[in-house]
Amino acid sequence: MPEGSGGGRGDASVDKAREDFLSEAQELVDGLSRDLLLLDQQARGGAGDPELVNDVFRAIHTLKGLAGLFGAVRMAAVSHELEELLDDLRLGRVELTVKVVDTLFAGVELYGLLLLSEKGQAPEPARAVEEFMAALATLTHRGSEGGEGPLPQYEIDSSILGVLTEYEEHRLRTNMKAGVSLFRIQVRLALTTIDTVLDDIKAAAKPHGEIITYLPSGTGADAEHIDLEILMASHSRLDVLQGVFRALDVTVEPVKRRASGEPAAIPAEPSPAPDADETGATPWPPEVSTPPEEALGPARSTGLTQPPVAEAPAPVAAPEARAALGAPNREQDVSLRSVSQTVRVDIRKLDNLMNVVGELAMVRASLGRMTERVRAEPQLRAWGSELHRLQRAFERHLTQMQNGILEVRMVPLGQVFEKLARVVRQISRENDKEVNLVITGAETEIDKLIVEELSDPLMHMIRNAIDHGVESREERILVGKPSAGTVALNAFQKGNHVLIEVEDDGRGMRPDLLIETAIRRGLLKRGETEELSTREIYNLVFLPGFTTKESASNLSGRGVGMDVVKTNIGKLGGVVDITSAVGIGTKITVTLPITLAIISVLGVEVEGRSFAVPLASVEEAITLDERLVRNFDGREALTQRGATLPICRLARLFGLEPLPVPEGQPQKPVKPCVVIASVGSRRLGFVVDRLVGQQDVVIKALGKSLKSVRGFAGATELGDQRVGLVIDVAALIDEVMSTEKERLGVAEGGLAR
Amino acid sequence: MRRLLIVEDSASTRALVRTIVEDEAFAQELGGGFEVTEAASGFDAMRLLPRGPYDVIITDINMGDINGLELIKFVRNSDRHRTTPLIIISTQSTERDIERALSLGADAFLPKPFSPESLRKAISAQLTHARG
Amino acid sequence: MNTLARKKHDRAAVRRAADIGKRVEYVSFALAGETYAVPIARIAEILKPLPITPVPRAPRVIIGVMTVRGRLVTVIDLRRRLRLPEAPVDHRTRILITDAGDERIGLLVDEVQHVHRLAESEIEPRDVLGGDPEPYLAGIGRPEGAVLTLLDLRPILEQ
Repeated sequence: MPEGSGGGRGDASVDKAREDFLSEAQELVDGLSRDLLLLDQQARGGAGDPELVNDVFRAIHTLKGLAGLFGAVRMAAVSHELEELLDDLRLGRVELTVKVVDTLFAGVELYGLLLLSEKGQAPEPARAVEEFMAALATLTHRGSEGGEGPLPQYEIDSSILGVLTEYEEHRLRTNMKAGVSLFRIQVRLALTTIDTVLDDIKAAAKPHGEIITYLPSGTGADAEHIDLEILMASHSRLDVLQGVFRALDVTVEPVKRRASGEPAAIPAEPSPAPDADETGATPWPPEVSTPPEEALGPARSTGLTQPPVAEAPAPVAAPEARAALGAPNREQDVSLRSVSQTVRVDIRKLDNLMNVVGELAMVRASLGRMTERVRAEPQLRAWGSELHRLQRAFERHLTQMQNGILEVRMVPLGQVFEKLARVVRQISRENDKEVNLVITGAETEIDKLIVEELSDPLMHMIRNAIDHGVESREERILVGKPSAGTVALNAFQKGNHVLIEVEDDGRGMRPDLLIETAIRRGLLKRGETEELSTREIYNLVFLPGFTTKESASNLSGRGVGMDVVKTNIGKLGGVVDITSAVGIGTKITVTLPITLAIISVLGVEVEGRSFAVPLASVEEAITLDERLVRNFDGREALTQRGATLPICRLARLFGLEPLPVPEGQPQKPVKPCVVIASVGSRRLGFVVDRLVGQQDVVIKALGKSLKSVRGFAGATELGDQRVGLVIDVAALIDEVMSTEKERLGVAEGGLAR
Repeated sequence: MRRLLIVEDSASTRALVRTIVEDEAFAQELGGGFEVTEAASGFDAMRLLPRGPYDVIITDINMGDINGLELIKFVRNSDRHRTTPLIIISTQSTERDIERALSLGADAFLPKPFSPESLRKAISAQLTHARG
Repeated sequence: MNTLARKKHDRAAVRRAADIGKRVEYVSFALAGETYAVPIARIAEILKPLPITPVPRAPRVIIGVMTVRGRLVTVIDLRRRLRLPEAPVDHRTRILITDAGDERIGLLVDEVQHVHRLAESEIEPRDVLGGDPEPYLAGIGRPEGAVLTLLDLRPILEQ
């Protein structure tokens, strides 16, 4: 019977707390994953940051408590064992080896399964739990504590030692064994500002050493302030520390070393409570009226004599671990470890909010018109001005709200990158290759809907990079590369788009092999290959049915084709491009719109119909001089800036008949223009009748019944209830410019599927 | 109406304790209900203690920064809460810490996981003891 | 009324009352001179036509898209869908808005007429017509004095 659910008496309300439990547990597991990635780097670099190990310990400790309270028996059992391992780790009984880190990662995976099972979305992973526990048993060290002798060297009052937890005591010993000096930092904090001041103190202290514990002093009678004594181990000199803390209004004093010969053992029994008999080694401060200083024991030193500064290297590795990975680690630390205050939001609610904002915009427009009419009346002038002012304010706030909602939809790519980091470890192990993952731009933000759909395509690309791109250790050494391969994930914003690059320093792709494979799979005919540009050859991998090797992954049973990746990225409104250099590496670039919601567009008119071209794909727009159009065997093109620019007349492509002009209305002047659009390295000029202007529009997806129609990315409201279709530049370029072979390849692939 | 302070860094554990303590039948049994105040850390507790006095304090031991032991010592050192019933909720892997907590002046400890009944019993026992 | 007649009257009244409870509401509309009907529960809204933007290269059945309170609606010409002769839009033309999954679809009809509450007894199943009726024919409705061709929307919306 699960402990958490007691019988009777309103305990049904305990079940409501279960939802909180699952949510909190998930966040803890997510945080664990991030911390483990950092720990992994550190383990490889040599030293583990004890604070990080302790954080992991405490997270598992909390998970254990939660699991027990809420009846998740298996999770509690797993957490119990993991906690023992972590305790061993933080108390130094077990060394932080790669094997240990691997086990911890396996633990995180297991937590994932256990949580799914708790939510009822998956069966209980009984086997996995058994196997994991067995693996754990080989690691935990159940020996006795041994070797934790007395703390002889410093004058620390035993009443202080008595309030250190076992862990804090261990940290104290470790520092003292390494010969690090101890300092007392006294500070009086206003309770109203305690959080920020503490953060400042912690930040100031971190580079100089380790804070062992915080001791509140005083009587608690002051409702405004609290006196804190902070015990810190630091390898820096006293004057340096004093300088560091001067701005924060604290005093720093060294803790004196005892002269040798004077033993000062940790009390075997902690000092008894005040109302008990005073049989302990040191009396408690008996009276409440004792001034705060004495509460910490009589032997407090005030002298400025420095204990001899230990030259021993600090036992604490700086958290910005300089592991084998190379520069961007600091960024990675920040982005991986930042635990943001988040709220989980159903994205449909955001869409509804956007619709409401849209309605408000129309109300505002009507108000605007009415305001104009009022202003036009001379008697109502005063009212008109006031209305106008109000209406402008309304508009401003509306725009702010719209932007605000859009921002909420944006999430940092780091979310996806973290998951990928775990995948990289796994795949490298599977392939017995050494791979370093370098991430930049994890803070780049993109629409949440896009992010959700990104992890699969990115995962496939990384898998390919590691499976086929990065060579084995031996091969790499033979060609003079470092034995560890590098896979880089770079993300950055470019205008209205986000670019994600997946780059490896592996063997690159050989054009001749690619051609061979394409021919072998019937995607190309021999003899057609001379006309292919290098770029087109590399892009052969995106043809359906192309995969060069059976990738038997245990993540997905199916073979992974790059064509699926391309399609999925396409659904998100993005494009994929690939370049490579033999022996050097391969780079895949994914270009995505920042948000599916609002884009900047160039309005155009074709035969009286309005369309919108996303500005991100537009290079420039020029007027059309029909005399410069050349006809190359049915395909039209211009010479522009000395190069050939193929053009496409949208009226013809869309089959648009000229609209009948209503009686009495003059024909609108037609100024044909060419909108030069580009996707990747392909350029195409769209011939239109008029340019209307630039604007930001909210783009809405077209319904399923229009999925078969090529060339439109969505639709947007143009004001007074008219709709403008947004052109899908990539799809049109594809349609107009793809070669017969490519078209055949797609068709065949379709049939094959 | 009695006042209870729970010091615990896990939000859902705090919520659970609140649910257990705010039970009607329990209130009847004790001749009065509880007003629960939540502190998410030792520092939070520092901020909230002057707003006491509290009739019962429940705290965890292993919290960051100011740990539970330091909190117990601080509480026992203060005017207001020197004799307030102090219950620790904690786990078993830090036996020595629990011994220390008791020696420093805590009144009882409940190992996690605890059942709602056992928490209520512990609170009720402490209050009776204090009264008696 | 004598006792026997009253009892008969009461029994009939009870039957009618029971009947009314089981009725389904249909909205009827005109298309090319014929009267059709669909369950009103499937209709979210009935609108006068708003500006519709044609979508180049879309199937002919789709007249275009329009926007209603911020949401995009795909408008289908029900005449074309049911392969009926075409007619121009006039002031009586209406659009019935219905939901098909994530998409909002608008059905263009000549005129919206009445809401009929059809009892089971007033509905004839489609096989009364014999042969292989189209999947979108749900049956024939015969409320007092009228004949309605009942449509099943699902096959109409799936294209």
